[in-house]
Amino acid sequence: MRRPFRGLGAILFKEFIVVWRDPMTLFFMFFPPLIEMIAFGYALDNDVRHMAMVVFNEDRTVESRQLLDRFVNTETFRIVQEVGSAKELGTEIRAGRAYVGLQIPPHFTRDLRAGRPARVQLLIDGSNSTVALQALNTAVALALTQSTEMLLKESGRTVIPVEVRPQMLYNPAMRSPNFFVPGVIGVVLQIGTTFATAMAVVRERERGTLEQLLVSPLSRWGLMLGKLIPYLCIGMLMALLLFAIMHFEFFVPIAGSIVAMIFSTLVYVFALLSLGLLVATKAVNQMQALQISMAFILPSVFFSGFIFPRETMPAIFYWIGAVLPTTYFIWLMRAIILRGATFFEYLPSLGILLGMAVLLFVVCALRFRKKIG
Amino acid sequence: MEAMIECDGLTKRFGNFTAVDHLNLSVERGSIFGFLGPNGSGKSTVIRMLCGILAPSEGTARIGGRDVVRESEAVKEMIGYMSQQFSLYDELTVNENLLFSGKLYSLRDKPLKQRRDQLIALTHLGPYLNRRAGLLSGGWRQRLAMACALMHQPTVLFLDEPTAGIDPVARRELWDLLFEFSGRGMTLFVTTHYMDEAERCSHVGYIHMSKLIVSGQPDELKRLPEVTPPNTRRLDVTCDHVTRALQAMREVAGVRSATVFGQSMHLLVDDSITPREIEAKLRTVGIQAPEIHDIGPSLEDVFVALTARYTNNHTGARAA
Repeated sequence: MRRPFRGLGAILFKEFIVVWRDPMTLFFMFFPPLIEMIAFGYALDNDVRHMAMVVFNEDRTVESRQLLDRFVNTETFRIVQEVGSAKELGTEIRAGRAYVGLQIPPHFTRDLRAGRPARVQLLIDGSNSTVALQALNTAVALALTQSTEMLLKESGRTVIPVEVRPQMLYNPAMRSPNFFVPGVIGVVLQIGTTFATAMAVVRERERGTLEQLLVSPLSRWGLMLGKLIPYLCIGMLMALLLFAIMHFEFFVPIAGSIVAMIFSTLVYVFALLSLGLLVATKAVNQMQALQISMAFILPSVFFSGFIFPRETMPAIFYWIGAVLPTTYFIWLMRAIILRGATFFEYLPSLGILLGMAVLLFVVCALRFRKKIG
Repeated sequence: MEAMIECDGLTKRFGNFTAVDHLNLSVERGSIFGFLGPNGSGKSTVIRMLCGILAPSEGTARIGGRDVVRESEAVKEMIGYMSQQFSLYDELTVNENLLFSGKLYSLRDKPLKQRRDQLIALTHLGPYLNRRAGLLSGGWRQRLAMACALMHQPTVLFLDEPTAGIDPVARRELWDLLFEFSGRGMTLFVTTHYMDEAERCSHVGYIHMSKLIVSGQPDELKRLPEVTPPNTRRLDVTCDHVTRALQAMREVAGVRSATVFGQSMHLLVDDSITPREIEAKLRTVGIQAPEIHDIGPSLEDVFVALTARYTNNHTGARAA
């Protein structure tokens, strides 16, 4: 009788001891992802605050000072310096000492009182688009608000004609960590797992122990699963740690089911580890195994919707994203953690992720058999 | 006698290169088969095909009557394999390596522990049980690798250069064990570079340029007419200044080959040459009182003679 998982117990026995006694692999599984989680969590912050602004105020009146106060009160800007010429304004921005330069012309107050358009010049450093966009939006909104207030006063109306009342769902405070951290978990889990199984198999091939295993009646499913399970345990431990950091350090609330969150993670890590096994069937040595594993990370960062929305990408990148497990994992995390999606709402994505995991595992087991011949 | 290992036209090609070319071979149960040949001649490829981890391009091989390709699962239960590098898990202790090997073959609980204890007693690994395999010296690694290969009590054991790089004491002890196994009916298939090891085998085969040139019992091979051509004989000459003597002997017509063996030289000479003529020639280069006596060919002589003949036939064939 053939037993499909023959030898699994033996491989698990060995693999758990080897993993435990190999501090380097454990270190590389845990340390870089943790560092990256902390770094990404803090650094990926779109809430631009207190950006440096230089001012060239030629007007020097109460009105011009009130305008400056309005800029500062948005908390988007902080005045770092007042300069004496338009030229200096440009120099400060070019030197990187300020993102924004505001020039108030001498006739500002006169125009304002006379009912003529009172123009101020705003220079924005466009070399950083996120910052530039926020500066632009804030400044335009600020001017519009002030204009509306003045018009209301003149016309005698007490309310504005059209008013939009936005309500931000799922992330009411518009906090960047809520948006980014679930995605960061997807990316750092990939950094910490795929290479581990790839290296584990390639190391055996390099040392000749793989040949020894192949001579035994061990089944390929037993071997593959035996290689995968120990790293699945470590990967899940890692994931739980990341979720804890997400919740307790970055204060991201978990709106949906924790069980669903953990189950999705299990499927995701399984898929990543299977990908590692697949890498091992291609890689000649450990160095290559590491490099190929790392090559999968960049697409996962860019095309998974982690930072940039996939919908606005050119079709080719959109479809690259469609075959990455990370895409579905990040989608699932945002759905479950932030939106509190229910079972049938996240089922399609979970189904695709599950399908990918099974497919990757089956393909690597089949390919593995071929490599022997 | 029952054939335990049989190869019939066994061939392996890697692209354009033929690593093993139509190998026919039969190894009897309980024999120690020494498989010799230079590096890259195809020895390991043959072992890998016999162990079912490399698919033959052509031909068949059977172990214990089971086809190594179609019935590989049954074959795997029967065979043990000790690879060239003594493949062990360096992070695992001696004890853990043994347990792991047993578990791979579905041994567990009491039978597993019993088998481990038997092999520890056999290989004297007792004092090192809790030492990591990575910290063992060459000889002990080899013993552990062999013990691991024997955990499931195979009936056929393949050893790929088991004595490469280990000390003479360990080498001697390994061979003592191999004889013991053979006495209990185990079939051993051993590759080696050492001629003295070949002499200990009950059967030997010699592979050269992917082709099996000869196989049989050492004594049979030494009596082959190709090894000692008609009207020639082999002499052992012991004297002072062997190298000078060798130069001199190579100038004598009728001396077909001359090789130094430590303090003496081995000559292949025409029957017409007498010991007296040799003595006379040696005296001309100032060497007195050599000891001369007849000897039979060694296995090395056998392989040298047959390789030379094979090479001549083939270059001759190509020229024609």
